[in-house]
Amino acid sequence: MSTVLDTLVSQPYRHGFVTDIESETAPKGLSEDIIRMISAKKNEPEWLLEFRLQAYRHWLTMSEPKWPNVTYPDIDFQAISYYAAPKPKPKKSMDEVDPELLRTFEKLGVPMNERAALAGVAVDVIFDSVSVATTYKEKLAEVGIIFCSISEAVHNHPDLVRKYMGSVVPAGDNYYAALNSAVFTDGSFCFIPKGVKCPMELSTYFRINTQDSGQFERTLIVAEEGAQVSYLEGCTAPKFDTNQLHAAVVELVALDDADIKYSTVQNWYAGDENGKGGIYNFVTKRGLCKGRNSKISWTQVETGSAITWKYPSCVLLGDNAIGEFYSVALTNHKQQADTGTKMIHLGKNTRSTIISKGISAGHSNNSYRGLVKIGPRAEGARNFSQCDSMLIGTKCGANTFPYIQVRNPTARVEHEATTSKIGEDQLFYFQSRGIGNEEAVSMIINGFCKDVFQQLPMEFAVEATKLLGLKLEGSVG
Amino acid sequence: MNVTAIHPCVASLLAGSGAVPKSPAAWLDARRAAALERANALAVPTTRDEEWRFTDLTPMTRLQFQPVTSAAAVSAEDIAVHAVAEAAARLVFVDGIHVPALSQTGSLPAGITVEPLADALGKHGALVEPHLAQLAGNDNDLFAALNTAFLQHGVFIHAAKNAGSGQPVHLLFVSTRKGAAAYPRCLVVAEPASEIAFIEDYVALGDGECLTNAVTEIAVAAGASVRHIKLQRESSQAFHIGSCAVTLAKDARYLSHAVTFGARLSRNNLAVIQQGEGAHAQIDGIALIGGRQLADTHTLMDHTRPNGSCEQSHKTIVGGAGHAVFNGKVFVREGAQLTNSSQQSRNLLLSDKAHVDTKPQLEIFADDVKCAHGATVGQLDAEHLFYLKSRGLPEAQARNLLTYAFGAEIIGRIPVPSLVARLEQYVMARTEGGT
Repeated sequence: MSTVLDTLVSQPYRHGFVTDIESETAPKGLSEDIIRMISAKKNEPEWLLEFRLQAYRHWLTMSEPKWPNVTYPDIDFQAISYYAAPKPKPKKSMDEVDPELLRTFEKLGVPMNERAALAGVAVDVIFDSVSVATTYKEKLAEVGIIFCSISEAVHNHPDLVRKYMGSVVPAGDNYYAALNSAVFTDGSFCFIPKGVKCPMELSTYFRINTQDSGQFERTLIVAEEGAQVSYLEGCTAPKFDTNQLHAAVVELVALDDADIKYSTVQNWYAGDENGKGGIYNFVTKRGLCKGRNSKISWTQVETGSAITWKYPSCVLLGDNAIGEFYSVALTNHKQQADTGTKMIHLGKNTRSTIISKGISAGHSNNSYRGLVKIGPRAEGARNFSQCDSMLIGTKCGANTFPYIQVRNPTARVEHEATTSKIGEDQLFYFQSRGIGNEEAVSMIINGFCKDVFQQLPMEFAVEATKLLGLKLEGSVG
Repeated sequence: MNVTAIHPCVASLLAGSGAVPKSPAAWLDARRAAALERANALAVPTTRDEEWRFTDLTPMTRLQFQPVTSAAAVSAEDIAVHAVAEAAARLVFVDGIHVPALSQTGSLPAGITVEPLADALGKHGALVEPHLAQLAGNDNDLFAALNTAFLQHGVFIHAAKNAGSGQPVHLLFVSTRKGAAAYPRCLVVAEPASEIAFIEDYVALGDGECLTNAVTEIAVAAGASVRHIKLQRESSQAFHIGSCAVTLAKDARYLSHAVTFGARLSRNNLAVIQQGEGAHAQIDGIALIGGRQLADTHTLMDHTRPNGSCEQSHKTIVGGAGHAVFNGKVFVREGAQLTNSSQQSRNLLLSDKAHVDTKPQLEIFADDVKCAHGATVGQLDAEHLFYLKSRGLPEAQARNLLTYAFGAEIIGRIPVPSLVARLEQYVMARTEGGT
């Protein structure tokens, strides 16, 4: 069985290639001057520069968090270039977009034009740090939805950006959030006005391309009263030997009766089988259920990155607010993942659900770290958590660190965790039914992750199944 | 022995360490000195330390505690109420000092030795040396280091090969004096295929602020079985910090029942290390607290060899402005295949100000294992209450009965009937008083 698994788990990275286009890169290192330069390049207003500088000054006083269950060599923050943009060229339509860039997306299997048209998806493509093509904007504008890059939003909707940016993840929230606040280059901004249900799934493709440049996106989604939106984020990155730092910040704000669904499929380069290279994915994602009856749902399929360190969280402030977290985290070779969620119950009758599935293979280490906190005023709060781990092979690790803090007696909190393996008896059963090992492993894993995949929008569910296939099952999928 | 601690509270705690007389064994003096050095280098843990994140020791650091040099006068009548009828032997310690007049070890079965530590060092030095102050780590644990630095009074329990006793040994630790610090030490060594049960019982006469810093070390050899019942009923002003380290050889069994009712702040550390194949541990815990009490239980079950099993059930009942903390680590090391480990943390909150922090933690490095943990926090089930009320029970009585039943499951598993009866009575009285 081990040989079968070995071949299964050693699929090469399909998306590993470097697109050769000229890019404009800032000198390595971080200082107030660099931040001023980024801000000037992006032609930002004074208040945003001030926001960045304050974050930077706060960052200087902070120290790198050491509590996650991951190990990596020290990061030299002065060896990173904090700004990389494709060479600026005026463009009026898609035809003017660098053909090399478009080819990259094709190689990734994202034929933007067709896909956008066929699937009815508006794709705001992020290539390194600057938005290069945006589609379906008018269609969204008709119903009053603003969907653009953060840089554009800063210029066109400064009041909205100023009001909400940093309101969920303050600039000094944690080490990497502070770094992001200081140097973020671009990201997506999405605003759904009162009563509007977004007519299509919104999605963005993030892709890191320039060697040695960390990417610091910033995403802000605001859903006003009664608004509804589903946002998809998919990630792939080319193959590099140097570790790349990725420290994004995602903020979601849901007002009364609003509903935000945020789905991620992350398949960044994880390094080779010896743990060389790969992305460091240190992300702060947090949603604020500000209004009554609001709902925020996170779904993530994490299969890439050398190190994943992320806890998409929900602050359930409004009464009857709902937070959800569905996660599949797969680690292989020398990958390390320390991921989970935080559900902070502050309002009355707030509810949260956590379903986390961790799969470890090779020499990898997969940790679930979660917090369920019930504040003293959260009457009738309810949480259910389930964390299942699957181990493939004897050299990997699966850990669970759930923190449960309850300050209200009417709350009900349940947490369950189990661990299992793909048993010889299960494979034997499949075999007796004429199903080979590869397919059996694939079916067992897909069954294990079903609760999470069901939450993904259809296109992503297909992609997620494929990803796990790529990572574990070879020809299957 | 010089006191050079940087931390003022540690310095204050260590002030009396010079008064500890030389022991009959040079190796023990060396271990004490090493522990003193270690304690000097350590600070009192704060809530910034992950292991003490929810338990704030500040109230303790504001007070002064010194070991006493002579036991207070305690009569047999004073402690009669705590006697355990089933016990084969009893050792009594007052403020950490052994009182021979109140102790009796006459009716022990063959092969079972129960001695005050001071006597055991002389008579059974060869049996004591490999284990004493060796099992409980002093490295980063200030309180274990303090206990070793003050190591003088304690008990040595030994079960010879194949010796067995169903009757428990009762160790009664009585605290009487305000400001007293007691550093009791228990060493339990069970030779192959032996069986022993003991009760570690902490009670208070009076209501003064005192500190009990206890360390228990248990070595269970192949096929042996140790049952450990720990009762903590200190005064509501007391600070109690207890650490217990257990090593299990092949097919050894360790059965633990920890009952926490008392103390203003209590911390119970239990570390069980499975060193041989097929060892089994059963870890039960119950904490019933109210007022402004804090009860913290930290356990570690370390599976290092194949075929081990562990069943853990920890319950807390928290009323008033009480605060219960539970952190249960389960490690399954590489090579500990076919481990079967389960852990439950169940918490019952009775009042608005009561709170619970629980963290069941699994770290698994072997693939063919069965591990599960669960945690629940909540109040009494409305349907259960309704059912009892439909049977004619008044609301208050129905609540008490359900609360009692929640705790009785753990207490009822202690195989000492007189103790069970007494503890159940206590739970009943306490739940009726609204904790």
